[in-house]
Amino acid sequence: MRHGVRPLRFVMSSLTVAEMEARKIRHDSSELWTRAVQPALWLLVFGEVFNQIRGLAPGGMPYIEFIAPGVLAQSVLFISIFYGITIVWERDVGLLTKLLSTPSPRSSIVVGKALAAGVRGIFQAVMIFALALVINVNLRLDPLDIALVFVVIVLFAMCFSSLSMTLASVLKTRERMMGIGQAITMPLFFASNAIYPIQLMPQWLRYIAVLNPLSYVVDAMRSMLLTGDYSGLPLDMLAIALATLLFITTASVMLKRLIE
Amino acid sequence: MVKYAPKFIRNRERGGPSDFLKALEISGLTKVYSGFRAVDSISFEVEEGEVFGLLGPNGAGKTTTIKTVVTISRPTSGRVVVFGIDAVERPDAVREMVGYVPQAVSVDGDLTGYENLLIFSKLSYVSKRGRDERIAFALRYMGLEERAGELVKHYSGGMMRRLEIAQALVNRPRLLILDEPSIGLDPASKRQMWSYLKRMNREMGTTVLLTTHDMAEADELCDRIAIMNEGRIAVTGSPSGLKAAIGGDVVSLTLDGDGMQLTGIPEEIGSVVGRDGPVVKIATRDASRAIPKLIQYLHEHGVAVSSVSFDRPSLDDVFLRYAKKTFEEGEGYREARMARRVFARRSR
Repeated sequence: MRHGVRPLRFVMSSLTVAEMEARKIRHDSSELWTRAVQPALWLLVFGEVFNQIRGLAPGGMPYIEFIAPGVLAQSVLFISIFYGITIVWERDVGLLTKLLSTPSPRSSIVVGKALAAGVRGIFQAVMIFALALVINVNLRLDPLDIALVFVVIVLFAMCFSSLSMTLASVLKTRERMMGIGQAITMPLFFASNAIYPIQLMPQWLRYIAVLNPLSYVVDAMRSMLLTGDYSGLPLDMLAIALATLLFITTASVMLKRLIE
Repeated sequence: MVKYAPKFIRNRERGGPSDFLKALEISGLTKVYSGFRAVDSISFEVEEGEVFGLLGPNGAGKTTTIKTVVTISRPTSGRVVVFGIDAVERPDAVREMVGYVPQAVSVDGDLTGYENLLIFSKLSYVSKRGRDERIAFALRYMGLEERAGELVKHYSGGMMRRLEIAQALVNRPRLLILDEPSIGLDPASKRQMWSYLKRMNREMGTTVLLTTHDMAEADELCDRIAIMNEGRIAVTGSPSGLKAAIGGDVVSLTLDGDGMQLTGIPEEIGSVVGRDGPVVKIATRDASRAIPKLIQYLHEHGVAVSSVSFDRPSLDDVFLRYAKKTFEEGEGYREARMARRVFARRSR
C-alpha cells in the first residue's frame, strides 16, 4: 500500500492503550484481588488435598508443584477470556468509538487491548507466585526463566483476550459474553494438562488437549518453573505465538462490527 | 488564549493547498443497512472555518453520515472527502485531521481528567514537544484545572463534555465533529459549551460539524445548516436565510371595539392575513419596525388598539416545515418504525 502502517506509531499506540489499563489498575486494583481468590482456592484446597495422592503427577513430582503452573495459567485464562466484556462495555459507553476514531491504526488498538489483558495477567501471576512461595511450593527461581514465564503469560493473555474480542464482535452483548465465557473456560481448562497430565486422559480428550493452546502454555511454564527440561519449549512457544497471531488478526478484522 | 491564537492563525494564513479545499465534501453518499437506506444519496459541502449543523429528527441519518466522515462506517456508495483526502481510500489520514465527540460520553471514567487528555493526545500523535503545555492550556481554558487529578466518573455531565472539548483542544483537529453535543446537559452547561465551541471556532479556526435536533443550538452556533429527513437533505442554508424564506413576522393586534374596518393599510407596513373577532393578524417583514408605524397609522384613522404581540418564525418552524412533513402526510408510522429499527440496531 502507498500509505503503509508506520511501525513506530503502531507500537506507540499499542503501548498507550496498555498504559491506559495500567493507570486504571493503579487507581483501582480491587478487581485483581477478588480475581485472585479462585486460583488461591485451587492451589490451597484442591492442590493440598490432591497432594496426598502419590503418583498422580509424572516422575514422582509432588502434585502441588505439578498444579501450580496450571493454576497460574488458569487465572490468566479467566482474565483474558472475559476481556471481551470490557470491550462491549466500552462500546456501550462510547469509548470504543472514540478509540477507533483516533488516527491510530485499528489493529494497534486491538494489540494494545490485548497487551492490557497481559498487564492484568502479570499482576495476577505475581499474586499466584507469591502465594506459591508462601505455601512452599518448590519452584525453580532462575531469573531468566521467570522472565520468560512472564513473556509466556503476556502472550497467552494476548491470545485469549483477542479470541474474546473476536467473540465480542459477533455476540455484541455483555450477557452473551458472560455465557460464552462460562461455557468455554471450564472445557478449555479440563481439556488441557493444567490439573492432570495428558497421559492420564482418554484418547479422545488427548486429541483435544493437543489442539488446546492452554496445554502449550502450561507445558512451557512447567518446563521453566519445575523440570528445567527445555526440549518441548520451542514447539510450545511456536504454538502460543501462532495462536496469538491468529486471534489478533481475527479480532482486528472483526472489531469494527461492534461499532458499525 | 492570546498566546496561542496568532500561531494557529498564522498556520492557516500560510497559504497551503488547504486554501483551495473544502473542509468536507460529501457527494452522493448512500449507506444501506440490511436493506434499509439510512442515508440516501446526499451531497453537501462544509467550508473551512465554518460551523455547520446537520439537523433532523431521530433516525434521519445524521449519525450515520457522521460515522462515514470519521471513517468508522464505510459508505455503500458515494464519496466523502475531508480537506481533499478521500475517507475510503485513506481513512488513517482522514482521522488525523478529524476530532470526534460521539453522542455517548466518550471520556474514560476510570481515568483522571488529565490522563484522558494525555492518553488521547498520544493516540492522536500529538508531538511530545508542547504536549504538556497544550494539556495544561486546555485544562485551564475549559475550567477543569482544579479537578484534573480526579477520576472522571466523579465529574458532572457538563464537565465531561468540557473534557471532551478539551481533548479537541489538545489534539487540534482541523475538523471537529460533534454528535448531539448538548444532549443531557442542563441549560447552563449547554450555554457554556456553546461559548467554548464558538471561541474555539473563532480563535483557532477549527471547522465544526455538529448534529442536533435542538433548534436553539443550531440558531446560536451554526453559520449554515442542512436539514435531514429520511436519509435525505431537505434544505441547506443559513439559519437567518431559511427563516426569512418561510415568511416574515406576524403582528397580532387586539382592537378596541369590534367590527372596525381595517382596509387601506399601506403595503410597506404589511398586509392583513387573518381576522378573528377583535384580533387582526398582519404579515410584515420586520415586526419591530412595523409596529410603531402600524399603531400610528391606526391612531390617525381613529382605531384604538388595546394590545400588540408578534411572532417571528423560528428555526423550529423551518425544521417543522422540512423535517416533519411526511409525518403529517400520514406516512409517519412506517417511517417511525424504520427509525426505531435503526436506533435499536445501533444500541444493540
